[in-house]
Amino acid sequence: MKVVELVEVTKVYELPRGSIKALDNVSASIEVGEFISVMGPSGSGKTTLLNIIGCLDMPTSGRVVIGGENINGLGDDQLTKIRRDKIGFVFQQFNLIPTLTALENIEYPMILKGLNGHEERGKELLRSVGLDEQLGENKPNELSGGEQQRVAVARALANDPDIILADEPTGNLDTKTSKDIMGLLKATNERGKTIIVVTHDPLVASYTKRTFKLVDGRVDRVGVFA
Amino acid sequence: MIFFEFAKRNLTRHKFRSVLAIIGIVIGVMAITALGILGNSVRLAASEQLYMIGNEVVVFPYGEEAVSEDNFKLIEKTADVAIPINSMTDKAVLNGESELVMIYGMRSEDIPKLLEKEDGQFLKHGSLNCLVGSRLADNYELRVGERATIKSQKPRIVGILKERGIGFDINPDNAIIVSDKMFSSLYNSSGYNLVVVKVDKIEDVEEVRKEIEDRLNKKEKVVLVMEMKMIVEGIKEFFNILSMFLIGIGSISLVVAGVSILNVMMMSTVERTKEIGVMRAIGTSKREILRMFLFESLILGAIGGVIGAIFGFGVGFLVDVLILKEASYLFAPSSILYVFVGTAFGIGTSVISGLYPAWKASRLKPIEALRYE
Repeated sequence: MKVVELVEVTKVYELPRGSIKALDNVSASIEVGEFISVMGPSGSGKTTLLNIIGCLDMPTSGRVVIGGENINGLGDDQLTKIRRDKIGFVFQQFNLIPTLTALENIEYPMILKGLNGHEERGKELLRSVGLDEQLGENKPNELSGGEQQRVAVARALANDPDIILADEPTGNLDTKTSKDIMGLLKATNERGKTIIVVTHDPLVASYTKRTFKLVDGRVDRVGVFA
Repeated sequence: MIFFEFAKRNLTRHKFRSVLAIIGIVIGVMAITALGILGNSVRLAASEQLYMIGNEVVVFPYGEEAVSEDNFKLIEKTADVAIPINSMTDKAVLNGESELVMIYGMRSEDIPKLLEKEDGQFLKHGSLNCLVGSRLADNYELRVGERATIKSQKPRIVGILKERGIGFDINPDNAIIVSDKMFSSLYNSSGYNLVVVKVDKIEDVEEVRKEIEDRLNKKEKVVLVMEMKMIVEGIKEFFNILSMFLIGIGSISLVVAGVSILNVMMMSTVERTKEIGVMRAIGTSKREILRMFLFESLILGAIGGVIGAIFGFGVGFLVDVLILKEASYLFAPSSILYVFVGTAFGIGTSVISGLYPAWKASRLKPIEALRYE
């Protein structure tokens, strides 16, 4: 079953110096349970692709289907709901909400969705990403980078999304911690979750099962590397 | 309520800044509350000093010396109670001192209908004694039983009147009241200087005034008929305008406070751009972001409003006690009202000032906000 389907997706940015084609006629489909990396030099359109799959941006043309739902022409409220319920984000800079404790950060998407029992499930998720329950009481600035990223992964999993999108998830971490986080993502994938990682680190890509190489907004190669 | 919690925590992130914004609201609300209470207290104090009874109509002669006996008869037919009064300014000797005073001549039976006594008793029918007003009694230390001298007569003071305040019919506080018989023995008079008409039902006042005018001014205008109600309303109107003016002054400081809240909230949205981007990315709707920021300004306004109203009440108390020397005006419902008016204005100003920053924050595009450093 396809969880992401892109059909001839093009994204053009209109800038004062002229227009830039960030994505040029990209077609791809991703099956449930895949672990995919998106690689390519900077400016190749990696982040644009991730933003479109993450319903943060709209393509100029082409069709995008996420979790069986065509997102073309959806309004802001509907896109927000898809992001909340179907997509989990992991960012390079962790991006936890500084006023909330680690546990509250994990609970937050569930509270937005209006789920009951968010505290119990939050604690469960905290343990599942390998963190001590007591750590949950800390604010993000009291945690190390690796711990923050673990919390971010737990937050991404909170509403049991169809896809996890990770943009350079190890970009701000040392090698050892990077390996820990990638191990965590790998284990999450093995439990059946679809994961898409944007990276330019071959080590990160080596954890994934399939890699899209983007060059100048086009998919250059698809395959298994490393 | 997660967004209320967010608002609370965000405000405590920059405590000093939040406190400054609250102080602005406190000052504004304090100004409105205190000035509102002051205006109202002045109004209440004035109403106490003015003898204002709405159901009186006063008839004065117009173009003639006096209201004639015939015309008085006509007035009597129209009204429930008609009190004819004569007046004269003359020298009187009180406690050995000579003073120019107002002397009123009234029918003995009419006196209790218009005046109240403090001490002694009213005049008996055809009495040759007199009553004195409260101010006069105070100033000359007059007591019941003493005598006043008017011309060659030496009437005995049998009663001292209660203070009545400034009136539009008669001003007895600085006057001597004698019976009509005594008055005519002192001065040659025909007719009356004024007639006070009392109407049982206040809603009939207008009608009675018209009827008197119609009957007496048939051929030519001989009397001037004044409704106390109109005068009273004119004065009330004046004090309402005064109150509004004072509140207007207070509102200026609240506007300044509003601008400072706007400033604080704008700063806050800019600083938190990235955070808003993250919140939007992980599924927070525009409406929820808007609500979070509005809660922040609501909290600032509510805290500032309540503290400001308490301070304003305190300042109002000081003003009433120190300047008007009367604290009871403070607890009149019309004064207490300004405590709530002040609080409501404070909260309203904060929320209105927070609207634009909140709207701006909610309109941030998630990808652009995420990229913001």
